[in-house]
Amino acid sequence: MFLSFITDLFQQEFMLRALIAGVMLGVLAPLLGSFVVVRRLSFIADTLGHFSLVGISVSLFLSSLGITMFFDKPLYLGIMFSIVGGLLIELFRRSYTNFQEISMVIVISLGAALSAIFFSLSKKTGSLYNYLFGSILTVTDYYIYIILITALIVALLFIFFGKQILAVSFDESSAKFLGINVNLFQIVFIVMLSIVVSVLLESAGVLLISSMMVIPVAAGMKLGWSYKSTLIISIIFSECSVFFGLWLAYTLNIPSGAAIVSINIIILLVVAIIQRIILKKRIAKMDKIQ
Amino acid sequence: MQININNLSFAYGTKTIITNLSLSLNSGDYLVVRGKNGSGKSTFIKCLLGFNQVKSGMIFFDKVDITEFKSWTKFGYVSQNFDDFNYEFPLTVGELLQISSLKKTDESTRLKLLEKMGIFDIINQNINSLSGGQLQRVFIVRAMLNNPEVLILDEPTASIDKQNKEFFYDTVEELHQLGITIVLITHTDDIERLNYTHLLSMYGDLTTTFEERGVEISGGVL
Repeated sequence: MFLSFITDLFQQEFMLRALIAGVMLGVLAPLLGSFVVVRRLSFIADTLGHFSLVGISVSLFLSSLGITMFFDKPLYLGIMFSIVGGLLIELFRRSYTNFQEISMVIVISLGAALSAIFFSLSKKTGSLYNYLFGSILTVTDYYIYIILITALIVALLFIFFGKQILAVSFDESSAKFLGINVNLFQIVFIVMLSIVVSVLLESAGVLLISSMMVIPVAAGMKLGWSYKSTLIISIIFSECSVFFGLWLAYTLNIPSGAAIVSINIIILLVVAIIQRIILKKRIAKMDKIQ
Repeated sequence: MQININNLSFAYGTKTIITNLSLSLNSGDYLVVRGKNGSGKSTFIKCLLGFNQVKSGMIFFDKVDITEFKSWTKFGYVSQNFDDFNYEFPLTVGELLQISSLKKTDESTRLKLLEKMGIFDIINQNINSLSGGQLQRVFIVRAMLNNPEVLILDEPTASIDKQNKEFFYDTVEELHQLGITIVLITHTDDIERLNYTHLLSMYGDLTTTFEERGVEISGGVL
């Protein structure tokens, strides 16, 4: 069964596309996820995903009215709305400095409400399932190019501003003493995150984006001893979950996003159990010495 | 750097914390800000560092109004219990210092600082595994990396043992001797061993006194 999966992976075009998309997203999701976790903003991806969904539903609504232009590719409006959502979070975050999670609740509620309205107006509620749970097995060549461009933008931003983004993420208040324009980097980060979330939405679905970004990092944190090692371990876990998730989806004929996230959870559980066993053994050893 | 504070007042909503506080410091001065918990020391520091927005005309750095001031790299800051820092995510001491030295910090300066502060051997350790004393040394090195003119230390000895406390005070003294302006905030009265040049006492009832070592300059407000 596994062999036929491997054969199909390289012979069936849709499988190969899914693999390429998955491998690239497998790097992007935990990379951005690590910053999100450092900043204690694990729910931000879900929030942006809901706003991205507004863009998609508006796009579907406009095309149902016969207005196509570039609205025939819902992803474009999805990205734009996600950026608007990100900027709204930043705006509300500043007015509720001690209750920053409130900003996300406001934006996620607005996103969910507007999406429901426009999906219903577009009369395409049937496509909602795909956007909620994603489907990496149906991605097109065009989508692969979009991921590639996104990955290039993210890579360039990290090459030139990685240090600054990390410094702001770990310690926002001290960043200004390093000559960093904190507001500018907050906005650069939120725009970058909004784009990645919108791109992830198509394959992971709005309900599973956060899981792809945060769970590999949560597992990586248990084993990592530095930022770099944690990130590398998270990416390895993420890639494993993409590969085995695709296999599971292919074999059991279940939604790919759900399969990938399930593997992510299994990895996290295994890591947590192993860590516990090692810790217990260490404590027992220390007790013996004493 | 010359620091001038003219009738600084600050309130959180309707709760006034500081009123009509004035003081002046010259380059190389060593100010101790003393007061009990809740007396407004941290609020004062937040005003000085621009975290709390104050009205124009209240604080000047080298005659530049704080509302116009941009050269924040001239400041080094070690916060109380380093509580502004996002802990728990794995990060080594080396990584922390790397992301904190954005200007082209001379490598030998960095190594000398590490050696001097006794943290050279823990450079590859995760900061979450460090003791309070080690962590404090790391954060002082971080604040010193970009050669600040002013070093601000908020309640730095609150969570460290006696030995580390002595080491810390000696280090501050050495930095002061190098000509760095020091602003040290403390809630203890045990300040006689410190070689400060100026003392700001905050009494918690909006009254303050500011004195050059031994000579009262202003105070008794309200």
